[in-house]
Amino acid sequence: SSPQDQYELYAVEMEKQDDGAMDVKIKKKKTTKAAKKKEKLENMKKEMDVDDHQLSVEDLELKYQTSVSKGLNSTWAGEILLRDGPNELKPPKGTPEYVKFARQLAGGLQCLMWVAAAICLIAFGIQCGQGDLTSADNLYLAIALIAVVVVTGCFGYYQEFKSTNIIASFKNLVPQQATVIRDGDKFQINANQLVVGDLVEIKGGDRVPADIRIITSQGCKVDNSSLTGESEPQTRAPECTHESPLETRNIAFFSTMCLEGTATGIIVNTGDRTIIGRIASLASGVENEKTPIAIEIEHFVDIIAGLAIFFGGTFFVVAMVIGYPFLKAMVFFMAIVVAYVPIRLWAVFQVCLSLTAKRLARKNCVVKNLEAVETLGSTSVICSDKTGTLTQNRMTVSHLWFDNQIHTADTTEDQSGQSFDQSSETWRALCKIVSLCNRAFFKSGQDNVPVPKRIVIGDASETALLKFSEITLGNVMEYRERYKKACEIPFNSTNKFQVTIHELEDPRDPRYLLVMKGAPERILERCATIMIKGQELPLDEQWKEAFQTAYMDLGGLGERVLGFCHLYLDPVQFPRGFSFDSEEMNFPTSGLCFAGLISMIDPPRATVPDAVMKCRTAGIRVIMVTGDHPITAKAIAASVGIISEGSETVEDIASRMRIPVEQVNKWEARACVVNGGQLKDMESEDLVEILKMHPEMVFARTSPQQKLIIVESCQKLGAIVAVTGDGVNDSPALKKADIGVAMGIAGSDAAKNAADMILLDDNFASIVTGVEQGRLIFDNLKKSIAYTLTKNIPELTPYLIYITVSVPLPLGCITILFIELCTDIFPSVSLAYEKAESDIMHLKPRNPRRDRLGDVALAVYSYFQIGAIQSFAGFTDYFTAMAQEGWFPLLCVGLRAQWENDHLQDVQDSYGQEWTFGQRLYQEYTCYTVFFISIEMCQILDVLIRKTRRLSVFQQGFFRNKILVIAIVFQLCLGCFLCYCPGMPNIFNFMPIRFQWWLVPLPFGILIFVYDEIRKLGVRRHPGSWWDKELYY
Amino acid sequence: MLFTISEFEPKYQDRVAPPGLTLIPQVLKTEISFSISDPQSYGQYVEGLNKFLKNYDSDQQASDMIFDTCADKPDDYIMRGAFNNAQGQKKVCRFKREWLENCSGIADSSYGYRDGKPCVVVKLNRVLGFKPKPPLNESLPAEVMGKYNQYVMPVHCSAKKEEDADKVGPVEYYGMAGYAGFPLQYYPYYGKLLQPKYLQPLLAVQFTNLTYDTEVRVECKLYGENIGYSDKDRFQGRFEVKFDIKSS
Repeated sequence: SSPQDQYELYAVEMEKQDDGAMDVKIKKKKTTKAAKKKEKLENMKKEMDVDDHQLSVEDLELKYQTSVSKGLNSTWAGEILLRDGPNELKPPKGTPEYVKFARQLAGGLQCLMWVAAAICLIAFGIQCGQGDLTSADNLYLAIALIAVVVVTGCFGYYQEFKSTNIIASFKNLVPQQATVIRDGDKFQINANQLVVGDLVEIKGGDRVPADIRIITSQGCKVDNSSLTGESEPQTRAPECTHESPLETRNIAFFSTMCLEGTATGIIVNTGDRTIIGRIASLASGVENEKTPIAIEIEHFVDIIAGLAIFFGGTFFVVAMVIGYPFLKAMVFFMAIVVAYVPIRLWAVFQVCLSLTAKRLARKNCVVKNLEAVETLGSTSVICSDKTGTLTQNRMTVSHLWFDNQIHTADTTEDQSGQSFDQSSETWRALCKIVSLCNRAFFKSGQDNVPVPKRIVIGDASETALLKFSEITLGNVMEYRERYKKACEIPFNSTNKFQVTIHELEDPRDPRYLLVMKGAPERILERCATIMIKGQELPLDEQWKEAFQTAYMDLGGLGERVLGFCHLYLDPVQFPRGFSFDSEEMNFPTSGLCFAGLISMIDPPRATVPDAVMKCRTAGIRVIMVTGDHPITAKAIAASVGIISEGSETVEDIASRMRIPVEQVNKWEARACVVNGGQLKDMESEDLVEILKMHPEMVFARTSPQQKLIIVESCQKLGAIVAVTGDGVNDSPALKKADIGVAMGIAGSDAAKNAADMILLDDNFASIVTGVEQGRLIFDNLKKSIAYTLTKNIPELTPYLIYITVSVPLPLGCITILFIELCTDIFPSVSLAYEKAESDIMHLKPRNPRRDRLGDVALAVYSYFQIGAIQSFAGFTDYFTAMAQEGWFPLLCVGLRAQWENDHLQDVQDSYGQEWTFGQRLYQEYTCYTVFFISIEMCQILDVLIRKTRRLSVFQQGFFRNKILVIAIVFQLCLGCFLCYCPGMPNIFNFMPIRFQWWLVPLPFGILIFVYDEIRKLGVRRHPGSWWDKELYY
Repeated sequence: MLFTISEFEPKYQDRVAPPGLTLIPQVLKTEISFSISDPQSYGQYVEGLNKFLKNYDSDQQASDMIFDTCADKPDDYIMRGAFNNAQGQKKVCRFKREWLENCSGIADSSYGYRDGKPCVVVKLNRVLGFKPKPPLNESLPAEVMGKYNQYVMPVHCSAKKEEDADKVGPVEYYGMAGYAGFPLQYYPYYGKLLQPKYLQPLLAVQFTNLTYDTEVRVECKLYGENIGYSDKDRFQGRFEVKFDIKSS
């Protein structure tokens, strides 16, 4: 069997052990079929026992029939590709399509409908058996019911199918490229074409395309954080250093990043057989928890279905007691069930969600799990990453200190900010150092790309400096050409500085320029002078103090600070052509001239502070969880507003009041920064306590495991938690969260698989958009439900009156089905397009226990107020139509027995006219139609009032929701079509009706409108009053 | 709109007109089935006819205040003014039960059933203000044309299927002045309030030589210009009845 099957049976837990070693535990998830599974477990273990790292290169070549110099033979590679399949993670194995479809057809409600259809068919069969071929009503009803189930089933299936497609299409957006050597030639091919035995090259910036046994390496370092959560770069080299494949240095894992250096290696595992692949496919076997909205809908449908069956049962019993034949009583039962059960609620719901998903996709949020959209709306806590989500994920020069003054650089993404004064001589000197003492360079061929977006080869600080000087100075590459480099000492951790020596541009000036950058205190040590306004002044204590202050200030902002200095070498001692030796350092490295400090930070995204503010007004707490340093984390938190202005931590208060930390009243501190070390020693109750105590929290230096604990603690407080994450190790937290949000750019596939939503632009502000849309969907769904529920009453009362007062039936089963499944669908969907009532992001998040989708206020208002008015409208129209044709209301009462007796061909009406059964039947159909039109007319007004729950419709705008207007027109057209299309009377029991019968319900419609405007006015005027509580839904 | 409705005249009659043609006795599943030797088996039919024809007894039609003696041969419509009670109630034409002769139940209290020659009484459903128009003399069956009168709405009963024609045998019609149809002077009907005692004209049909011990399907049809038939409503302007008479 395929490895895929085996993986699904086990869950892998990855734990970081104290010694920092990774340990992969395989847990058996289920215990049934023990023997078979045991065997599979053995297989699994065997597969985990990769020994490729221990083989010699020769053995490796033999095993994979490859060559470490020429790579695979391309035809052979093609064969392996056919054998093993493409090198990509298979999406988690879904349920087979037919099962998905069957599931759509066999829900609780659907089963009810099936039973109903079966009853109808049996009734029809019995009628046929009795030789009564006149009425095929039951047959039509059965067909209609089956059609409904199948159509809604298809619809649901289609929606599901579509949302799966969204994800699939998203995956194909960026095919990864890899450099492979086959037949001795280098190729760039799509990474998914790689096969076991391929010889590949990786270099800094690449994502490792498969599990690779390293053959050669030049300073290759990888970031295994997506696998282990450990963000320290790890060296990769050809030597086997550990017997565990996870520990050894000569294996680079699929989907990890190569940070620097280059390496070549032989692929030993591809696709799902890679370590990551195994973990990902195991993790995806874990069941998702039900989303709050799914619970809501189920809860709601259960109540409604229960109500339907209760009412239906009561009627059934009453009908049987009154003396109806069993079958007829059964048909009543069904009519009521059909009228009551909001069968297409799921369909409407699906449409609403997929609409929103589409809308979000346009705003760079891909929603994997449709229902998650609404969950996002009820989110009360967002645990956000810092890097890349809140920040731009690129180091940027933010401050400079020269001429004893701190200057602020422009850190905005599009360089729209203010620049600083660049006229000073010191600045020119500093700029020269920054440009020259820098190893980073732009990848070629990017001249047309804006500077901030250009790809740079080099580390983060150098990249920042390069881009900074490119923007302020112009073409740095050319500038460097002019100042030819004579010698270089790269940055290393012992020196903590970097030196380069350059010839000057002017050929007449024989001096060499030595430029140096490094850790500020080390640079300062080597300086004798300081440049102020272009003048070299001796570096005395006063200047040193000024330096210290600036250094502390910048450091306190959480920024990485570098010092810069230079020295023009004595042309006598170092003439042109002097051979500088970087090992010996045969040139001065002290007594230099200090030029300035430059500090860098990964700046917050421009949109984030606004988004955090929005979250705050929306009652959502934003918690920062980052692996970064506490000071940086705090600085970013403060700059984006996670720690608001004026909020202090316990430490801040202590230092301000000059008292020991222990004496501070902890409740006074709104903000709190907890680092991973502290977190480790905390009991989970302590964490909950801290979360309660400080509204503004930042967790720094946390491991992905701790992220999970934080999420759980928030959930213990009853919060609905959204979590952002990108690494493989975030997947437990993403799964645990009520809504997991993965990063589309930085995110690993495992994180994306575990998440419910993917932010294509990794931008926090997109989450806020999601929240807004989620809330909107809940509101609109509520409106839609209110609209849908309302007509249940005018559908039910005809039966009630029919049975209790024995009038001729005012509304037929098929007519009800038409209302439910045909005319009212479009308007109820159109409410999903309704814009937010302006204050949507100023409300607290929904309390999932209290604010239900279908609450009592909504039901009572819809059923007993609007529904009642609609019923009155229907009956008024019904009695009008009856009376105008000759049947006065009083005569109708008790008429049922005669009316329905098909042997009576001369039943007298109020004028003494005699009606045949056929004539009465058409009159009955006329009544159905009239009642139908009444409900439709009222529903048109109903959909208008449902546009808002609190605001006046006039404030919301009548025609702003174009779809709704179209829906109303459509509804009217459909009504006309049903009434006036020839052939309708005998198929669907619709009769052409007189124009004035369309008008009878209008006053009631207007009443509905006015009534609801009064309700909304009361709700707006008296918030919190009895009125508000009882009438606001 | 409910309040604009007149007590005397319905607003619309599009559902009730053209009127239905009904037969007495009222039969289940349009079937008259009995055994000649068993009076019990046709008791319900006799009962139905008795009950219906009671209103046509001469002692019921005594009052000259209510009843009007109209011509005893077919005549034109009698208009009795507007459809309101300004002149109080309207008079009603008498219809003598005797005109139904063998089927009147006066001579033969079993209406021919005990002889295996069943009678049915045919009536046109009342529709207020409705003036049935006799057919133009084209395209009518020859039997109907034979007794044509410009003031009579002719009714004709025959086998439903051609091949059953000989099973039906001769059909006797008893109506006013021996015409097989409804005379026009009884129309229009002024409604329950203005003519509470209204008697609609009747036509008795006797099947004198039906084939026994088999099902014989007969269709009676009213002919007229403003009489319609419908596939869906088998009682509009015509009806069908199935005889199943057991000889023993």
